[in-house]
Amino acid sequence: MAEVHLIGQLLGASGFSQRRLFCKWGLHAGGAWKLLGGLREGQTQVDDPQADDMAHWCHPLDVHFATKGLQGWPRLHLQVWHQDSLGRTELLGYGFCHVPSSPGCHALSCVTWRPRGSGVTQRLRHRLLGGGPQLRAPDLIYAGADRFRLRTEAAGTVHVELGVLLRHFGRYGVQC
Amino acid sequence: MATAPAAAAPPAPRSLPPVPSTSRMGFSELSVRERMREKLKAARSKAEATLSQEDLGPRPRHLKSIRERKAELRLDKGSGDQLGELQRDESLLSSKIKFSDSVKKLKQKSQAQSDYPSAEEAYNFFTLNFDPEPESIKAGARKRSELNEEEAEEYVETHEEEQEEDETDEDAHLVKDADLFIMGQTDEDFLVTKPAECERYSEQLQKEKEFLFIPSMQTVPTSQKMPENMQPRYLEDEGLYAEERPFVSPSNQNILENRILRQEKGKEWFGDDGRILALPNPIKQSSTRPPVFSLEEGIAPELETIYRKAIRTTAANQYLIGPGDFQGPFQLDIDISGLIFTHHPCFSREHVLAAKLAQLYDQYLARKQKNLTELLTDKLRALRNAVQCSMDSAAASGPTAQQSIPEYKIEIRQTRRLRDAEQEKDRMLLKSIIKVWKQMKSLREFQKFTNTPMKLYLRKEEVDQRSDEKAYEAEIQAEINELQEEYMEEYEKKMEEYKTELQEWKSWKKAQKSKKKKKKDLREEESVEDYDVGEEPVKPVPPKMVDSLEIEQQVREKANNFRRKPGEPALIPELVLSGSITPSEQCPRAEVLRREDVNKRSAFIKVFFNSKEVSRTVTRPLSSDFRVHFGQIFNLQIFNWPESLKLQIYETTGMSSTTLLAEVFIPVPETTVLTGSAPMEEIEFSSNQRVMLDHEGVGSDVSFSFEADGSNQMTLMTSGKVSNSVSWAVGEKGIPLVPPVSQQNTGIPSALKNIDAIASIGTSGLTDMKKLAKWAAETKLDPNDPNNAALMQMIMVASSGEAHVPDFFRLEQLQQEFNFVSDEEFNRSKRFRLLQLRNEEVAEFRNYKQVPLHEREISEKLFQEYEKRLHERDVIDSKHYLDARRAVVANYLQKVRESVINRFLIAKHHFLLSDLVNEEEIPTLGILGLGLFKLAEPKRPLKPRRKERKKVTAQSLSDGDIKLLVNIIRAYDIPVRKPVTSKLQQPSKSSRSFNEMFAASPSAQSPTNNVDWAFDQVLVRPFVEVSFQRTVCRTTTAEGPNPNWNEELEFPFRAPNGDYSTHSLQSVKDEVFINVFDEVLHDVTEDDRDRGSGIHTRIERRWLGCVKIPFTTIYFQARIDGTFKVNIPPVLLGYSKEKNLGIERGYDSVRNLSEGSYITLFITIEPQLIPGESVREKFDTQEDEKLLQAAEKYEAECTSKFPSRQCLTTVIDLSGKTVFITRYIKPLNPPQELLDALPNSSQTTAELVARYVALIPFLPDSVSFAGICDLWCTSDQFLDLLAGDEEEHAVLLCNYFLGMGKKAWLIIGNAIPEGQTAYVLTLEQSQYVIWNPSTGCFYRQYDTFCPLQSVYCLISCDNIWFNIQQWDSPVRISFDISKPKLWKPFFSRSLPYPGLCSVQPEELVYQHSDKAAAVELQGRIEKILKEKIMEWRPRHLTRWNRYCTSTLRNFLPLLEQNQGKDVEDDHQAELQKQLGDYRVSGFPIHMPFSEVRPLVEAVHSTGVHTIDVSNVEFALAVYVHPYPQNVLSTWIYVASLVRNR
Repeated sequence: MAEVHLIGQLLGASGFSQRRLFCKWGLHAGGAWKLLGGLREGQTQVDDPQADDMAHWCHPLDVHFATKGLQGWPRLHLQVWHQDSLGRTELLGYGFCHVPSSPGCHALSCVTWRPRGSGVTQRLRHRLLGGGPQLRAPDLIYAGADRFRLRTEAAGTVHVELGVLLRHFGRYGVQC
Repeated sequence: MATAPAAAAPPAPRSLPPVPSTSRMGFSELSVRERMREKLKAARSKAEATLSQEDLGPRPRHLKSIRERKAELRLDKGSGDQLGELQRDESLLSSKIKFSDSVKKLKQKSQAQSDYPSAEEAYNFFTLNFDPEPESIKAGARKRSELNEEEAEEYVETHEEEQEEDETDEDAHLVKDADLFIMGQTDEDFLVTKPAECERYSEQLQKEKEFLFIPSMQTVPTSQKMPENMQPRYLEDEGLYAEERPFVSPSNQNILENRILRQEKGKEWFGDDGRILALPNPIKQSSTRPPVFSLEEGIAPELETIYRKAIRTTAANQYLIGPGDFQGPFQLDIDISGLIFTHHPCFSREHVLAAKLAQLYDQYLARKQKNLTELLTDKLRALRNAVQCSMDSAAASGPTAQQSIPEYKIEIRQTRRLRDAEQEKDRMLLKSIIKVWKQMKSLREFQKFTNTPMKLYLRKEEVDQRSDEKAYEAEIQAEINELQEEYMEEYEKKMEEYKTELQEWKSWKKAQKSKKKKKKDLREEESVEDYDVGEEPVKPVPPKMVDSLEIEQQVREKANNFRRKPGEPALIPELVLSGSITPSEQCPRAEVLRREDVNKRSAFIKVFFNSKEVSRTVTRPLSSDFRVHFGQIFNLQIFNWPESLKLQIYETTGMSSTTLLAEVFIPVPETTVLTGSAPMEEIEFSSNQRVMLDHEGVGSDVSFSFEADGSNQMTLMTSGKVSNSVSWAVGEKGIPLVPPVSQQNTGIPSALKNIDAIASIGTSGLTDMKKLAKWAAETKLDPNDPNNAALMQMIMVASSGEAHVPDFFRLEQLQQEFNFVSDEEFNRSKRFRLLQLRNEEVAEFRNYKQVPLHEREISEKLFQEYEKRLHERDVIDSKHYLDARRAVVANYLQKVRESVINRFLIAKHHFLLSDLVNEEEIPTLGILGLGLFKLAEPKRPLKPRRKERKKVTAQSLSDGDIKLLVNIIRAYDIPVRKPVTSKLQQPSKSSRSFNEMFAASPSAQSPTNNVDWAFDQVLVRPFVEVSFQRTVCRTTTAEGPNPNWNEELEFPFRAPNGDYSTHSLQSVKDEVFINVFDEVLHDVTEDDRDRGSGIHTRIERRWLGCVKIPFTTIYFQARIDGTFKVNIPPVLLGYSKEKNLGIERGYDSVRNLSEGSYITLFITIEPQLIPGESVREKFDTQEDEKLLQAAEKYEAECTSKFPSRQCLTTVIDLSGKTVFITRYIKPLNPPQELLDALPNSSQTTAELVARYVALIPFLPDSVSFAGICDLWCTSDQFLDLLAGDEEEHAVLLCNYFLGMGKKAWLIIGNAIPEGQTAYVLTLEQSQYVIWNPSTGCFYRQYDTFCPLQSVYCLISCDNIWFNIQQWDSPVRISFDISKPKLWKPFFSRSLPYPGLCSVQPEELVYQHSDKAAAVELQGRIEKILKEKIMEWRPRHLTRWNRYCTSTLRNFLPLLEQNQGKDVEDDHQAELQKQLGDYRVSGFPIHMPFSEVRPLVEAVHSTGVHTIDVSNVEFALAVYVHPYPQNVLSTWIYVASLVRNR
C-alpha cells in the first residue's frame, strides 16, 4: 500500500566518445509493484551538443508506483545510443542504477559500459562501419548475476535528477 | 654572485646590529615581499650598529656552527620544506622562547631611537642591490653536508647578525670551486673505456652447479618410490572407483618425482600405486577467479552479444524491447484426439480376449501389408533364376560368373531361411487368431452373453488344386535339391576336415611311437610324457553322407507345418464389429455391475509443459468399448524451446476419486512439423496399479485364467494408447511459430550441460526423465563419480517419483512473507484504482483532474458507472432494443468502437516533430512587402472587412470559456393553423382560442366564407426554442408563416469531463435542437363578466417541427450559415400548409418553389476552436504499392491546387485496412420487393429505393470513432449491422441505382448540416439529380435548397474524378466528367484502370421481413411510450382516448403506403368527422427504427405531454412496417384531444 512517486529528469550524458546521443530508458520494478501512472519506459530526443561535451536531454521522468513490499525496488536502466551523420543508430552504453530509497531530490550519475567486440575484425568493423556488439538479452543490464563475465569497455556517464516521494512506508515499519 | 664581493667590500657593517627577528621557522613560506620588508628593517637598523657594538661581543664563538646551521636551513627553503618541517618541530619550542626574548631586546633598543629611517637610509635601501642570498647559500650548502642539529636554538638569534660573514665565507669556497675547472683538464683524464664485463657461459654453469640442483627428466622406477618390499597396488584393478587425475605432462611429473625423492622422507609423497599423492581432482569445477574466457566457445547464452550494424531506426516506439528478431510468443498445438484402453481393470474376460484378438488382428493386418513372405518368395525365385542363368552361361562368361554362383547360393540359403521363418510366423499368427476366436466363442457360450461387438470371419479363398499342387511340389523339389547340394557341400567340407585331422592324427601316432622308443632311454622325461598322453587325440570319425530321403522328409514336414497344404483354401481372417452386445437386462448380476462401473468411469488428460500443468481436457466418460474421445486442441503459447511435454492420464470413478493412471511423454516435434501436416500418433502407456474389482471386471495386476482349472494364469496391467499430435502452429503470414533453434539448448538444465549423455541419447532424451534413467542404467554410470552427482541425483528424484521440485514456479521467492498487505487489500484501494484507470485513459476517468490523497475521500459511486459498463459489456440487454438482432448488432458495434478507440488512443500518443516543436516561419520579403502595402492602403471605414477571428488552441480552455452562438434569422412557410371547420362545432367562449376568438368567431358559422376570414386571422405565432446541453433558450414570438426573428441566442458549452482537447471535442455527442413551436393563447376566463376587467389566458405551444445539428458538425465547420429544411411531420393536425389557402398563394407563390418549411440560421462557436487533425495512422493494406503511390501523388496534386477540397482515394474498411475507394462501387440488386411494388414507374421505384436506404438507421462515425476517421463498411456489412453514416448510405444507394441500370456516381462533397459527406448523383433524362442518401430526398442540380453545398469528387466503379473547376457549388458546375479540363480523372491514359476487383459481394441476399415480429414490436413500443408519457406527467391524470387511438392506428399504414405525402386533407377530414367535438392537435413522427431511446426522445421533444388542460385526453398509435432485411419503418402518432364544450 505504500507509494513511491518518482519525479525527475534525465539531465544528460557526458564523457561519451560521440556526440549526438539519445537515451532509451526504462524503470524495472518487481512483481509487487504496481504502476499507478506515468510511462515506465521511453526514449529521449537526440541531442547534438555544440558547446561542450555534455549532451542535454532534460527528459522528464514521472512515474508513480504503489507497492506491497520492498522487494524489487525500482531500478532505472539506460541505454545510450548514438545517431551518426547518416541517421544510423548504434549503441554506446548500457547502465543501470537503483532509484534512491530515501525521499528527497537526488542527483544520480549512472556510469555506463558497453560490450567489447571480440576479435580485431569486429573492433575494426565497429571503428570503420559503426555498429557494434549488443546484448542479446538486454535485461541482463539489471538482472543476471554473472555479468562479470562480459568483456566490456567503459562508456560515459548519464546524469539523472530524481525526486523521490515516499508515502505510507512508515505504516509498515519501514523507516526512510 | 657578482654582488657578493660588493657586499663584502665594506667591512664596517660587519657587526650588524641585532635585528628583531621575526619567527624564522616559517621562512620558507614567506613571500618575497616579506623578505623585502625584512631587508628594509635590516637597513634601518644599520644606524643602530654602533650602539649595539657591546652586544656583539660575546657572540662570535658560536659563529661557525651557526653559520653551518643557517646554510642548512637555507638549503631546506630552496629544495622543499620536508626537512624544514622536521627542524621546525624541533625548534618550535625553543624558538618561541627566543622570539619573545628578542622582541624584548628590540623594544629596548627601539625606544632609544626613532623608528623611522633617515633619508640616506631610505636612499640606500632603494639603491643598494640586495643580492638574493638563497642561491649563494645553496651553493655553499652543497659542500657542507654535515649538519649540527643540536645547536639549532642558537640560530634564530644570530641569524641576521651573521649574514654578512656568512657570505664572505661562502665566497671563499666558491673561488676554490672555480679553480677546479680553470685547470683545463679534459674528459680523457677522467674517463677510462672498458669492455663490458662478461662471464663465460661455461664458467657460469660451473658456478651454478655448486648451487643448483636440476632434477632429471627420467622416469623414476616404481621401486624407488615405494617403500622396500612393497608391490604397487592399483585401485582400478581391484574394481574400486579411482578418480581420473588431471593431466600433467609426464616430463613435469618426472621432474617433480625426482626432486621429491632427493628430499628427506621423500617417499611419503607417494601413494600405494607409486604415484604422487593427489586429491581426486584438485581442479575446481568453477574457477574462483572469473576466467577471461575465449570468445569462441562456451559463452552462456544470456551473455552472448551480437554484432549489430548501425541501423536506421524505423519505428520509434520500440523502446527497450530486444532489438531485432521475433521474440515470440511461439505456439505449440497439442491435439489430443482420444484414448483407447488395451487393457482396463473393468475389462471382462471377453474384453481381454477381444483386445487380444484385436491386437493379433492388427498384427496380422500389419504383416499383410508388409507382405514379407511374398517378397521373400519372389526374391528366392529371382535368385534361383539367376543361378540357373549363370550356370547356363558359365562356360561362356568365364570365371567371374563362376565366382558369383556360390554367392548367389549363400544368398538363396539365407533368403529361404528367412522366408521359412516368416511363413511360420504367419501361420502361427493365423492359428493364434483362430484359437483366440474359438476361446472367445466358447466364453460367450459359457457366460451366455456377449460384451463385445467383435466377430471374426474366416474367408476361404479357393485355389486351383492342380496348379497349386504342382507349384507346391516344384517348390519342395527345388528346396530338396538345394538342401542336398548344401549338405553335399557340407559333407565335402567335413570330409576335407576329416582328412586333415586324420593326417594329423597319423603323424601324431607316429611321433608317439618314436617317443615310446625314446622313453626307455630317457626316464627323466617321464613326467612330461605322461602329461602328453592325457591329450591323446581321438581318431577322427569320417562324416556321414546325408540321405536324400531324409532330406525330403524334413522338407515335407516343414512344409506341412508352415505352409498351406496344396489345394487347401487360403484362410483370410476378417474382424468386424458388427456383433450385437447383449443388453444389460439379460446379463447376470456381476456383469451388470461391471457395466455400471464402466459407465461411472471417465477419463481426462492433463497436459504438462516443462512439468507444469498448462491445461487439461474435459472429462469424458469411458465408452463401453473402452475408448474415450476428446478431440481437443490446445494451443500453448510459449517463449522458449520446450523442455518436456507430458500427458497425464487420469481416471475418475463416479463422483469421487481421481487416480493418475499413467504418464506419457510426448516428443517435442521437430521444427518442420507444422500444424496441418502433423500426423496423428499413438503413444502407448501402461500403469502398474493394482486394481481388484468385485464384479466381472478382471482388474489390473491381478492374475486370472481362462481355464476352468485355473491353470495358465495371466496378469494384465492397465494399458492403452493415446492418439495425439503435437505440432508447431503457423502464424498469420505463414511463418511457423517455432522458437529459434539457438534457444533449444538453453532449455536444458544446467547440471546436464557438460555430460556426454546428450551425445548418446540426443537432446530430446534429456527431456524425458525415464529415458535418461534408462540410459544411466545401461551405461552403468559410476554413481560415486562426483562428475555424475548431479545427474544421479536427478535420476533418483525422477525415478523415485518423489518430486522434490515444486510443481509451481515462483518468480520472487519469499515475496509473500515480506508483503506489507495482502493482494486483496492492495487491489481494494480505491485511490490506486482511480489512478490506474486515469492512467489507462479509460473513458470514464480519462480526464479526471485531481485524485484525492486519502482513501476515504473517494466515494464508491465513482466506479459504479464503470463497473456497470464492464458488467454489461457482454450481456445483451434486449430491453433497450426490443429486438434481439439489433441488440447483437449494437453489441458488436460497441466492440468495434472500443477497439477503434483504443487504437486511436495509442495513435494519439505518437507525436511528430511539428507537434512538439513550434517553428514559426520566418516572414519572407514578399510577405513583408505586402504588409507594407497594406499599411499604405486607404482606410475605408464604410466598407468593413471581415476580420479573421483568433483561433484558440484547446488546451488553454476551461468551463465557461466557450459559447455556442445561434443566430436565428428567419423562417419560411411555417404551417398555419387551420380554421376549425367542423360543422358540429359549437364554440363555447371559454374554450375558444384566444386568437380565434376575435378572428374566427364571426366566420365560425360560415366556414365556406374563407376569404373574409383569412385576412384577419393570425395564421400562426411561431417561435423557436433551441436546446443544447440541457440549456434551453427561446426567441420571442413572431407572427405569420414567414416570421423574422433575427435573434442571437447564447449557450455555454461544457466539454465532457472538462476535457477541452481536440480529441475530446471531436467526440462530443450533443446536438443542437432547434424546435419550431406555435404559441397558442387560450382564453380561460371562466366568467364572461370578468372579460371586461381582466385577461386570463393560457399559453399553449404546439410543436411544428425541428432541425437537429450535431455539435461535431459545428466544431468542424467552425460556422454554419444557411437555410435548412425544417423537419415537419407529414401531418400536423390543426395545421395546414400555407399554399392550401388560396388567398396566400397569390403573392407568395414565388417563394413557394419547394415544399416544406425552411429556417435560416447562423451558428458558430465563440471563440473559434481549431478542429483537430485526422489521426495519422498508417493502416495495413492489401492494395498494390504502385496504386497507393499513385493515389498519394494524385491526392497531393489535387490538394495543392484546391486545398479546401477533399480528395478521397483510399478509405479504411471495418477491419482497419486501407482499401481503394472504387472497390466499393458495384452494381447491386435492391430488394425484389421494392422493384415489384411499382413495376412501371422507374421514378417512383428509385424514390422507394432511396427511402429504403434512408430507413437504415444513421450512426455517425466521427462521433463514435473519436477521430476524423471514417470506417467504410461494405454494403452487406452495412445491411447486417443496420447502422452506418452517410458514406455507407450513399454507397448502398449508388450501388442500387447502378443495379437498376441508372448512371450513378458517388459525390464526395460538403453539405449542411452534415459537413463533409457523400451524396449520390444520377443522370436521369439528361438531367442530373442529387440524392441525399440519409434522408431519401432528391434535388435537381439547380435546386436552391439543395443541402449539398460543394462537390469535390465523383467516384464511379472504375474511376475517380476530382473537381478542378473554379466553383464547387453544384449549381455552378458542370457534371460532365468527360471533360478533363473540368474533372481530373485518376485513371487516365497514362495510368489505365487495372481492373480492381470489388470488395462488395456478388449479390445481396435479403431476409424476408418478419411481419409477426413487427407487430409484436409495435405493441411493445406503444406500451413503452404510453408509460413514458404517463411518467412525464406526474401531477396529472393521463387519459387515453381509445377511439382516437384506433382511428390513428388506421391512418398509419396509409401514411406508410403514401410515404407521408398528400394524405393530410383526407386525414384531417376523417378525424374531424369522427371526433367532431374534440379539438385534436397531434402529428405522426416517422423514424427509422434502431432502438427505443431515440423514439422516446422524439416524442418527448414534441412536448405533447406538456398540455395541462384538466380534461385533456391523449391518443398514441405506433405502426412498424417491416422492409426486407429487417429494415423497419416506424410511425408514431401522438395527439392530444381537448373536448370542445
